[in-house]
Amino acid sequence: MKKEDTQKKTILVIEDELPLQEAIKMKLGLCGFSVLTSRSVENAFGVTFNSDLVPENPIHENSIKSALAYLEILENIDAIWLDHNLIGKEDGLDFIVKFKANGGKYATLPIFVVSNSENTELIKTYAEIGVTHYYLKAEHKLADIISDIKKTLDAPLV
Amino acid sequence: MPKKKLEIQISNDDIRAALLNMLEDHKSDAHTIVQSRKAVLNVLKDLEESNTKLVQAVAKLKASEEDISRTLSLTQEQNALNEAILESIGDGLAVADKEGKIMYVNAEFERLTGWQFAEILGKNISDILPAENTGLYGASKTKDILTDIINGKSFTASIDSNLHTVRKDKSSFPASSIITPIYLHGEVAGLVKTFHDITKEKDIDKAKTEFVSLASHQLRTPLSAINWYTEMLLSGDVGQMNPEQEKYLTEVYKGNQRMIHLVNALLNVSRMSLGTFVLEPEKTDIGTLVQTVVSEQRAEIDKKDILFSLTSDAKIPYISTDPKLMHMVIENLLSNAIKYTPNNGKIEIDLSMDSSNTKFVLRVTDTGYGIPENQQDQIFNKLFRADNVREKDTEGTGLGLYIVKAIIDNSGGSVGFESKENVGTTFKVIIPLRTL
Repeated sequence: MKKEDTQKKTILVIEDELPLQEAIKMKLGLCGFSVLTSRSVENAFGVTFNSDLVPENPIHENSIKSALAYLEILENIDAIWLDHNLIGKEDGLDFIVKFKANGGKYATLPIFVVSNSENTELIKTYAEIGVTHYYLKAEHKLADIISDIKKTLDAPLV
Repeated sequence: MPKKKLEIQISNDDIRAALLNMLEDHKSDAHTIVQSRKAVLNVLKDLEESNTKLVQAVAKLKASEEDISRTLSLTQEQNALNEAILESIGDGLAVADKEGKIMYVNAEFERLTGWQFAEILGKNISDILPAENTGLYGASKTKDILTDIINGKSFTASIDSNLHTVRKDKSSFPASSIITPIYLHGEVAGLVKTFHDITKEKDIDKAKTEFVSLASHQLRTPLSAINWYTEMLLSGDVGQMNPEQEKYLTEVYKGNQRMIHLVNALLNVSRMSLGTFVLEPEKTDIGTLVQTVVSEQRAEIDKKDILFSLTSDAKIPYISTDPKLMHMVIENLLSNAIKYTPNNGKIEIDLSMDSSNTKFVLRVTDTGYGIPENQQDQIFNKLFRADNVREKDTEGTGLGLYIVKAIIDNSGGSVGFESKENVGTTFKVIIPLRTL
């Protein structure tokens, strides 16, 4: 599957609160991004992608490497917008660990954690695991976070 | 030859005289005897008196002896009672001399700590009963406490102090304690410590705080939704609004910001009560930090036409402090100064080093409403707001200065103020350079 517009960058948004997910999706769309959404780690790894880029009957497979359709989609992702608390047993940290385990591009993709958890230890762990930025959800405007994402994606690769 | 008759002619007068003499002699002897008799009688009388006195004295002595023995038995009884009282006190109790050597502990002490009196008699109380701070101090501070007590100060550890008492087996429990000096003839002769286990109280407190923490986190989610949707409406993402709509929505947005601020403050307070407020010191350029806070609040300063100045001692070194918490301290002090200073007032922030060059001093001075004298001792209390500002401003939470004090206290610094109603206030924060 190819991107319709090669200029459009794709963001995978993993946020369990639907109204918030909807707002993020709308604003990212308005700012010129393609958006994939998921409410849980499980979904993010291919059970169901809530996106028009995803086939109607997705393959039920948890492993990224063996689910070619999803691999293709995931390969198109330019950045990840991630909440910490998610539906299901796994949280944002579990997602990153699993995601980065695939190596290559997955290990270096910019990740923006946007969460209402303000636990110092948690924020430190996210920093250590290598996320690009940690935002406290209630304290940041969508426009400001998206502007940071743009800056990161536009920056030349070192 | 005829016997010559010796005629001695003794005249009657002679005889009489001699008789008289004899009589006189007898008289004199009789007098002497009488006198002697009198003397003997006197001596006897004296002896009798002495004897009576002696008998009386002996009686008195006997009475005193009985008194003493009665008093002694009363004292012994009282001592036994005192000891029984000390022994039966529901709090752990330890008495030490002024060197800290244990002189007495009660049964509850033995039960709470696992130590027996006999094995710790004469040992130093700070070795036997170390207190560990589970909050920000980390290390044991028992020795400092001991020094304070010997210098006549008292020490109280309440539920907020996060002090744990360590048992013989090195396990520990949260304890509430009071240590006071014992004064004997006006001098400190030792100390007495009472303490009890507050595990249950702590658990209840923790449950309450966790509830606040969870509730605050849950509150942020709908607040985020309001925030982001109003942001999109206000930025015209779904079409332009008319000025009236925009005005109303701006109020919704501002109200929501206030709510976010309140939730943040409540979260901070709950973290402080939990003792989970972790200091993460790093080398901080305090001047830049202050400038950041000022630029964040510049709009509010300008809105009230406040004359603002920032003066800084050129010699201020980089300070080892938690920049996030220090930001919170300066932010609270400055926003209070702005909030409680009328239009066209003055605010000054001054950064300096103290004369010994070991402490950093931050002063925030305003020409505002001031703190009423009779409420100055309550100003750092949780949720307290002075009467004069409650009338003028309804937005304050009464949490700002409480948070400031908690952060500064836990940083080993101090915060104080001078204030006069309707003249102004100066808050002064002192941070020792090496304790952070």
